[in-house]
Amino acid sequence: MTQPPVFAVVGHPNKGKSSVVATLSQNDAIAIALEPGTTRQRQSYPMTVDGRTLYVLVDTPGFQRPRRVLEWLEAHSVSASDRAETVKAFVTQHQGDGRFTDECELLTPLIEGAGIIYVVDGSVPYSAEHEAEMTILRWTGRPSLALINSIGSEDYSETWQSALGQFFQVVRKFDAVRAPFEQHLSLLRAFGQLEPDWEQPLEEATGFLSEHRRKNQSQAATLIARALEDMMAYREKRTLTSAQASGISDEQLAEQLRDRWYRHQRQREQTLRTDIEHLYHHQRIQRQEAELSWHNEHDLFSEDSRSTWAVSRRYLTTAGFGAGAVSGASIDAITLGHSLGAGALVGGLIGAAGSYFYGDRLMLPALNIGVLKDGFKTATFGPVQDSQFGYVILGRAVDHWWHISHRNHAGRDFLDLEPADHHWLESLDKPARQAIQLAFDKCRKEQSMDERQRHKFIAAIEQSMITYDDWRLNRA
Amino acid sequence: MTDTPLRLLLDFDAFSQRDHHQPPAFLHRRDRKFALTCEQQGRTPNARLWLEHMARLSGPGADRSAGDKAIRLWRRINTGFVLVGGLLGILTMLGLLFYDGGQRINITAFLAFVMLQLLLALFTTVQSIAGWQPWRWLTKRLNRGSTSDTVHRLQPALMARASHLGGLSFATTGLLTLLVMVVVQDLAFGWSTTLNTAADRYHQLILWVSVPWHWVWPAAVPDLALVEATRFFRAGGQSNAVNPEQWGQWWPFVVALWGVWVLLPRLALSLFSALVIRGKARQLLNNHPAMHALMYRMETPTIDTGNEHNDAGDMPDTSTPTGLSPLPASNLILAWAGADKPELPQGLMGPDTQVFGAGGRATLAEDHRAIGHIAEALAGQPGGAVLVVTRSWEPPTGELQDFLETALETWPPHVVVHLVPLSPDPNQPPDDRQLRQWLRFAHRTGGDGIGVSILPGTPQDPYVIREQVL
Repeated sequence: MTQPPVFAVVGHPNKGKSSVVATLSQNDAIAIALEPGTTRQRQSYPMTVDGRTLYVLVDTPGFQRPRRVLEWLEAHSVSASDRAETVKAFVTQHQGDGRFTDECELLTPLIEGAGIIYVVDGSVPYSAEHEAEMTILRWTGRPSLALINSIGSEDYSETWQSALGQFFQVVRKFDAVRAPFEQHLSLLRAFGQLEPDWEQPLEEATGFLSEHRRKNQSQAATLIARALEDMMAYREKRTLTSAQASGISDEQLAEQLRDRWYRHQRQREQTLRTDIEHLYHHQRIQRQEAELSWHNEHDLFSEDSRSTWAVSRRYLTTAGFGAGAVSGASIDAITLGHSLGAGALVGGLIGAAGSYFYGDRLMLPALNIGVLKDGFKTATFGPVQDSQFGYVILGRAVDHWWHISHRNHAGRDFLDLEPADHHWLESLDKPARQAIQLAFDKCRKEQSMDERQRHKFIAAIEQSMITYDDWRLNRA
Repeated sequence: MTDTPLRLLLDFDAFSQRDHHQPPAFLHRRDRKFALTCEQQGRTPNARLWLEHMARLSGPGADRSAGDKAIRLWRRINTGFVLVGGLLGILTMLGLLFYDGGQRINITAFLAFVMLQLLLALFTTVQSIAGWQPWRWLTKRLNRGSTSDTVHRLQPALMARASHLGGLSFATTGLLTLLVMVVVQDLAFGWSTTLNTAADRYHQLILWVSVPWHWVWPAAVPDLALVEATRFFRAGGQSNAVNPEQWGQWWPFVVALWGVWVLLPRLALSLFSALVIRGKARQLLNNHPAMHALMYRMETPTIDTGNEHNDAGDMPDTSTPTGLSPLPASNLILAWAGADKPELPQGLMGPDTQVFGAGGRATLAEDHRAIGHIAEALAGQPGGAVLVVTRSWEPPTGELQDFLETALETWPPHVVVHLVPLSPDPNQPPDDRQLRQWLRFAHRTGGDGIGVSILPGTPQDPYVIREQVL
């Protein structure tokens, strides 16, 4: 079996080598800091599919004493043909020498056959200081590609491009923190172009990664659907003995139940957040997000949440009509069509009317405090009767998913989930709207969904994720 | 271990419940590996193979079957129904055949009871297919602790089978009791009804009921003469016109009636309910959410992008123990790595300023020459200072460290060395984060012997301001 291609990511200290590796290996636990020397040893990141390695990225420390190395190489080389051997001899001779630890670490994979990925920072001016290290890399004779990463906001990439072109086979721009996923794949394909034998495994790897991402999106939709089902159907229940019941007023009891209900819903929402983040291999995200809150007993959420994530009354009416029609159609089915579709029409009208009158009010007729019976009093809160609750949760979840799926693993900033400024769900197609509304109605009525309905619900959530992605793209 | 679809489903359900606590990445690796092994062996992976594989890996001593608990529970329920049904069968038949010698045993009542049994049996089957659960309270009580949705969905079918087994036992013991009673007692059957029904009409009904067995057991089909002879009226008193033997001639009909319309339907429906359970178990297994997840894990390659290595906690020490120093007056400037290109800021340049170059494109020999030239210049300047101008955005490297160490050894001991990092825009101070790395570098390299300064007059010079205030 042939060895998988290995790519050593090398360069000057503090130019974003680890960021490039973190993004391409989807690892947000690689130490990244704006401090030279953060990476002290080389570290391999193999990309494997079913245990078979397709390629390996090696993160390395930066050059510390390139001129001294070059001087040594020049002093020990007779002709151009012995340059690669001389580099190898340098490493052999200086292993364990504290002055050249970084150079030995970064040159070792190259003398073992790795391709060179040379990273520079395109946001700072070109400096001739890099020429010694670029010369050493050329001496190794390995296939090479230069990456212009941008750490800051300035752009000096033009100058860099022309300078790097003299030393490297391929020069590409790649923003490790902001590059979209398609660019990751395109960059990996470019790695494959460096040597004929590397093309096939890299092509295979990009195919797998692409498919993996598509499946991740479906998985995310399933996770969101499951959370929505749980949250919409959740009921907080408390049973009190007569002694307990006499010690608490109905208002206090209601307050307690509501508190516990909200606490549970917030926890469930947080679990969903973590699940989505882990799905995309983000283990260490620090998030900043307004938590679910309400202003008074009639309001599920703050005014902001409502204006941001809740859907319009017109939306609710049309979705309600569709969902009602689906239920009504079962009557037509039972009468073998003899009701001439009247079931669907009546169901649709009932659904639309219900959504119109109850929607957009954020009412909570979910509280139920029973009378004292057999020495016990039972009080329940939920399931939530207002489908806007579902739309708010859905909006927040899809927004979070979008940020996560577009976040590169080199990103170390806070994830600030600012609310969107538009009812993006309005562009969702009708069948998807109806499937979502139907699922919400089922949960509200404490009815379980069958497999077909659940499948449609998940597909509708996935559709809304695509819609949101389009909306974000067009907005940008 | 998984010999029936029901056991397979219950085992699978129990196993998938346990999998909830496993990390998804592990589950994916485990199941994908199993699928790949199956592929190598030329087998199609399915739930049965998967469970067997899991059991084999757990080795002897592991739970023989995870679904055993549920199976045992339903076995107990079935046994309970069989016992109760059997007992009721005996009692019911004794009640139906109660004969004190004064009255006849009414065939019409017998027919009605058989009809009731048949309807009950059919209702049980319909209810189980429709999914109604009138027994839910009982199963809930018996099934305390188990919240599996799968078991819940299977309950109507399981309960129908228990009910049919009870009915079968009822019918069997009833039939045996009937046969025993026929042997040990003289039973007098007759027919009676308030309705103005003629014997021939009643005979027609009897013939219709006897259709299933009339060609197998003709003796069990009463003829018109027997029907005409055995009608009785309770108000009519004892009729002596009928030979007492004739009253007993109905027994083959009663046995066949019970056997065909009570026992056989229960037997057939019991078998049918077993089929329903198998079908339903298969369907539930195929639609089981964990099955979808398992198939997904088996079909999807495990991709490891190398994200397991974690050194995020191993960050360098970025505390900065020193601050900026005021820029000393000096006419000796060393531009490191081309920091004087295109030109040095005017604020640094005086009429007799000497600028030397090192680092960058310069060779190491040129570095040494620069150190030597500065040493010569310092020889005539007691208390002199050297400004090493650098590009703030290019991080300090080992080469600069080597250079400074050599220089400090070469230059007179009283010489003050100041690093002056420049920003790309000379009118702006360097970025704070970049400055801090220069401060840390100076501290590491020369201790108090090397300071860091920025150009005077640049806005936002917080370190210098702080020192002046102090």
